[in-house]
Amino acid sequence: MKINLDEIFDYTSFNVDRDPHIKLDEQICKSCDQRSCVNCCPAACYSWDEENLKITFVHDGCLECGTCYVICGKDAFTRWRYPRGGFGVSYRMT
Amino acid sequence: MKRTFDAIVVGAGPAGSSAALTMVKAGLSVALLERGNFPGEKNMFGGVLHRLTALEEYFPNFWEQAPWERHIVKKNLSFITPGSSFTVSFDNEAADTPPYNGYTIFRPKFDNWLAQEAVKAGATLLTRSTVDDVIRENGKIVGVTLLRDGAELRAPVVIAADGVLSFTAKKAGLRQAKFSTAQQGVCIKALIDMPKEVIDDRFGLVREQGASSEIVGNSSGIRGGTFIYTNYDSLSLGMVLELGSLEKTDQTPYGLLNNLMDQPQIAKLLRGGKLLEYSAHLVPKGGYSMIPELVGDGIMVAGDAAAFCIITGLNLEGINLASQSGVLAGKAAIEAHQQQDFSKQGLAHYRKSLEESFVLKDMKMYRRTPQMLHNDRIFSQYPELVCGVMDEIYRIDGKPKETMTKLLLRKVKETVGLKNLLADVYGGWRAL
Repeated sequence: MKINLDEIFDYTSFNVDRDPHIKLDEQICKSCDQRSCVNCCPAACYSWDEENLKITFVHDGCLECGTCYVICGKDAFTRWRYPRGGFGVSYRMT
Repeated sequence: MKRTFDAIVVGAGPAGSSAALTMVKAGLSVALLERGNFPGEKNMFGGVLHRLTALEEYFPNFWEQAPWERHIVKKNLSFITPGSSFTVSFDNEAADTPPYNGYTIFRPKFDNWLAQEAVKAGATLLTRSTVDDVIRENGKIVGVTLLRDGAELRAPVVIAADGVLSFTAKKAGLRQAKFSTAQQGVCIKALIDMPKEVIDDRFGLVREQGASSEIVGNSSGIRGGTFIYTNYDSLSLGMVLELGSLEKTDQTPYGLLNNLMDQPQIAKLLRGGKLLEYSAHLVPKGGYSMIPELVGDGIMVAGDAAAFCIITGLNLEGINLASQSGVLAGKAAIEAHQQQDFSKQGLAHYRKSLEESFVLKDMKMYRRTPQMLHNDRIFSQYPELVCGVMDEIYRIDGKPKETMTKLLLRKVKETVGLKNLLADVYGGWRAL
């Protein structure tokens, strides 16, 4: 048994909003040499593109855990809030 | 929709629903706000639901009323290394009769049940309602606005029970603007499908008995712990990892959990299981020093929002503290209505009653524990020491045996070091 986050939508349910609930200031992320968000996010929503020096955040599979909010040392968020009512992760059991 | 209430509760988790239930039973009109489609939809935990003494007045036969999976009779504490494990197991008949000491539960079911009980008693539950901001008038909090459509809800008193990041407490100026990474842990959890009979056999259980296992070690040196809880026909396997420790590595939470699932003693327990759901959430692990301002003009903070969480390694408490604080906040709101005083002074009784209850007494008693757990030796060297000693005690390899004292001293020197051991024993004694 293995947790493969490429298959997260097979076991955890989401009602994905069009409008992301977290937005980043790309310029701040570009100047960051920590990038703890990339390894600490338990849903692997953040990835670093070495070629274009760019952090990409994909909100679709966000578990709304709050890790990035605490771990970011640069305050790179132009928006960090929970999704609008009714959107986002939807746990069935857990 | 009615827009004015006697009280607004932000968050329909255990703290919020306990507060709402308390207030509606006393005749107050209460809006209970939940950002999910239903209460519990957003909630997970890496824990056991302990006995909720705060709610026994409302649910005298809680165990017959609440939806739970198994009641805990067996507590295991293990130290593990990549290839071995040492377990202390406490199996207790006294925990096998009601009122049970603890339960495994599913949060989407349990939290929804508790919120619906508040609704039955008269609370107005508003789901799909993410709070955007607090409304202030003359310096007092008098309501909240919703993200959905900017709708305003008003009440002379607001209870912020909106979880670990509590933006309501932040916007009211009650919590620190920025958390330190040492104050927060991330809990990740895999829910694993397994037939009831298999769980009973593997964990030595019958009927609806349950086991909870706390496991230290094999976390690549990262400060944190592992847990396995038995649900009725599934297992909850997860880890709580301190963010301050995790961020210093290039490890990922799921990588660590995958690594753990391959550890041979754990793998045997999980064999044949199938992943059902994966979840994650922050845990306020900073303890007493992390508690925000609990009361402001027209507002109180309860549950995780108030950092009411006790992590000692042996005990992991949260929901019991949340529900107790919710009930006490509800009672303070009732009193404020009687006196018609919703100022900080008028609500100050909340803080006082928390101090008189186990909530702040226990938080205070364990105030040194977070600092003690900032000791990296606990998470790698001690498990190595314990398992290493056991390995040599039991090993028969044709070589003459050492005396126990010599063996222990040598192993201590190889792993933690004698000076560190003495310091840690003293620190542990003071912290626990």
